[in-house]
Amino acid sequence: MTALDTWLAPAPGSAAPLWTLEGLRGADPALGFALVMLVAVVLAELLHRKLRAPRMLGHMITGALASPLALRLLDRTDLDPWKPVIDLAIGVLVFELGSRIRPRWLIDNPWLAFTCVLEGLLAGLCVAAALVSLGAPVHSAWVAAAAAMSTSPVITLVLVHEVRSRGQVTERLLIMTAINSALSMLALKTWHVMATAGTISLDHELLPVVTDALVVVGGSFVLGVAAGWLLAKLTQPLREAATAPVLQIALVILAAMLAAQWKLSPLLALLAAGMTARSRMGHTLTVEPQLGSAGAVLTVLLFIALGMLFTLDGIGALWPWVLAIVGARLAGKGIAVAVLARLSALGWRQAAALTLALQPMSSLAILLAANTFAWGTQLPGITPGMLQALLIATTLLHLVGPVVTQWSLRRLAGECPPAVAKER
Amino acid sequence: MSLAAFTTSEPLTLGVELELQLVSTHDYDLSPQAQDLLRELERHPGAWDVKPEITRSMIEIGTSIQRQHASLLAELTDLRQQLSRAARKLNIGIAGGGTHAYQHWSDQQIYPTERFHYISELYGYLAKQFTVFGQHVHVGCENGDTALWLLHALSRYVPHFIALSASSPFVQGVDTGFDSARLNSVFAFPLSGRAPFVQSWDEFGQYFDKMTSTGVVQSMKDFYWDIRPKPEFGTIELRVCDTPLSVTKAAALACYLQSICRYLREEKPFEPSEDDYLVYTFNRFQACRFGLEGEIVDPKTKQRHKLRDDILRTLARVDEHALDLQALEACNLVRESLIEGNDAHWLRTQRKGGVPLSAVVEAATRRWMG
Repeated sequence: MTALDTWLAPAPGSAAPLWTLEGLRGADPALGFALVMLVAVVLAELLHRKLRAPRMLGHMITGALASPLALRLLDRTDLDPWKPVIDLAIGVLVFELGSRIRPRWLIDNPWLAFTCVLEGLLAGLCVAAALVSLGAPVHSAWVAAAAAMSTSPVITLVLVHEVRSRGQVTERLLIMTAINSALSMLALKTWHVMATAGTISLDHELLPVVTDALVVVGGSFVLGVAAGWLLAKLTQPLREAATAPVLQIALVILAAMLAAQWKLSPLLALLAAGMTARSRMGHTLTVEPQLGSAGAVLTVLLFIALGMLFTLDGIGALWPWVLAIVGARLAGKGIAVAVLARLSALGWRQAAALTLALQPMSSLAILLAANTFAWGTQLPGITPGMLQALLIATTLLHLVGPVVTQWSLRRLAGECPPAVAKER
Repeated sequence: MSLAAFTTSEPLTLGVELELQLVSTHDYDLSPQAQDLLRELERHPGAWDVKPEITRSMIEIGTSIQRQHASLLAELTDLRQQLSRAARKLNIGIAGGGTHAYQHWSDQQIYPTERFHYISELYGYLAKQFTVFGQHVHVGCENGDTALWLLHALSRYVPHFIALSASSPFVQGVDTGFDSARLNSVFAFPLSGRAPFVQSWDEFGQYFDKMTSTGVVQSMKDFYWDIRPKPEFGTIELRVCDTPLSVTKAAALACYLQSICRYLREEKPFEPSEDDYLVYTFNRFQACRFGLEGEIVDPKTKQRHKLRDDILRTLARVDEHALDLQALEACNLVRESLIEGNDAHWLRTQRKGGVPLSAVVEAATRRWMG
């Protein structure tokens, strides 16, 4: 049998040849993933050239098409073995986000610091209020609110790289994404502790919850600072440009794994590691966007995985809650940014652009500490209906968000350089 | 459009304009945030002016009319403090220097005004390559004839100002070997270089009419000469200086020019002639390429001198006038910089040991913002 025959032979566990849909379904998940990646890259490029859509949209749509939502080529549980790789992709992006943040800005512009906190909190409050007013269970509404505070660091950073935007809206988008993701993670962690302790209400023991939150924040921060410091120390004697990304990947894995093991927050730890590495190493820290071409593979895989988690099940019944989450979140973020716009030295048009750019909601970054991609274990106490509404809202915002963010940065804020291709 | 009448202004009054770089505090590359900074400075309490420049990563600041070094320096210092405060609020850096060390011209965005779009259309990529940063010094003159006389008399001192202010050794990520590579970008413009040798305002008006009738120019702004008259202000404008890395240096250069102008006006040590321009471009090149180490040729005696020595001799000649203008401190600063080296030398020192260019720009930013 030739090699070609081997490849095209019916997949094990399936009588159908590989080129049929049935054959593909029975194929090895690794082969399935490779084929999906191939399609993802081609589709992303087509969408980008024809519609100027962000490439990540093509990757996510491919993931969604391969998922049980459409063609059922891959099952969501097929993703679990890939989780360490996908975690690495997220970890690398979060580390890079940390290295982009300059905490000093928050001291120089206290109104900006206030905006960063307020937009997260107000988005959460608006979502909770809207859901409760629609008759949703209070506890579930608060969990959904906590998750809705965040903006996806993954989508934000990859998009900023793709459109090469520079300017006030871009810089604020990055710092707000980092802060609202940290706030969201903190709120969910607190909720997790309360729920697992069996005290869903704040009337009961408050001390253990506060202590645990402080341990998570403090511990993650110390771990991140230590990782950043170690990276700076190890880079000094090596001085070889080629080893820098290897060291960074090793440190990202180390910090994330230790954080998960010690029940801390990998997100916070990696943000702190990025900030520390930048402050200690200055210009010698070169974080290649997405760690160069190898990192680009990870990013494609990550967006396919995001697409595979898409769900629209039950949208017919859950649409009022979905609408409430999306609408209230937009209103909360918009009000906070607009109210403090002039005080924090932002123009009205830029405030509108920033509000829209903040819309892609985070999902995977919050799951960085989990063992699987099952949301339910991370959000105890949430009713299945509310969890599904939250997942549908995330799906919609992942589909529409990148397009809206790109449009805001390019058209509303005017922060992208003119496309070279267009000038030609 | 005919030439505007030359507005009378008080002789030897000064006005300084500085084109400044706006950089990101992340990678220290140019950042297109001029509109943000201008909006933040809209209601500043100073007498100075701040306005956009051709690309969105530049701004231009201009002082009010000044007579003495101390008040000029005080205004520039106030201006720097207010600009720096606004920039910190926006997380951007402001730096001096004639060029940005590694910006890519094609990434630059034209500032959205009618004139800048017209320039962009006319000059194409040259307009974006014109993302260079200069110091312009205006000197007041009582009438057009005096202005033109002073303009031509100053031509032999042009290399002094190029060498003293030079702060653009790096372009597009490499050391060009020039102390002032910025002027190479200006050379690319068709109406750059020296002004025509006409000595009266009437003659200059005839020249201007001929040029406008060809359609090549529309206003005085279309001339990119090293020194040009500015009739609406009643000044001549020296445009060869790179923006220095500090406002102290900018004030010192302006007052050194003021002292030379007084020396020329009061003592009339020579009469300018067309032949002065025989060695003009050679001397200019020497100053751009080698800075204070350059050699220039005296147009009258045809002798070669080290530029540094020529400046020292000139300082000795103008000291008395500097004293009368209360600009002695400025001249002493110029004297000190002959020993310390110019800003191009400082930038190259920062680069020693393979330090990344982004770190050099950060150092320049810290130096300007204080």
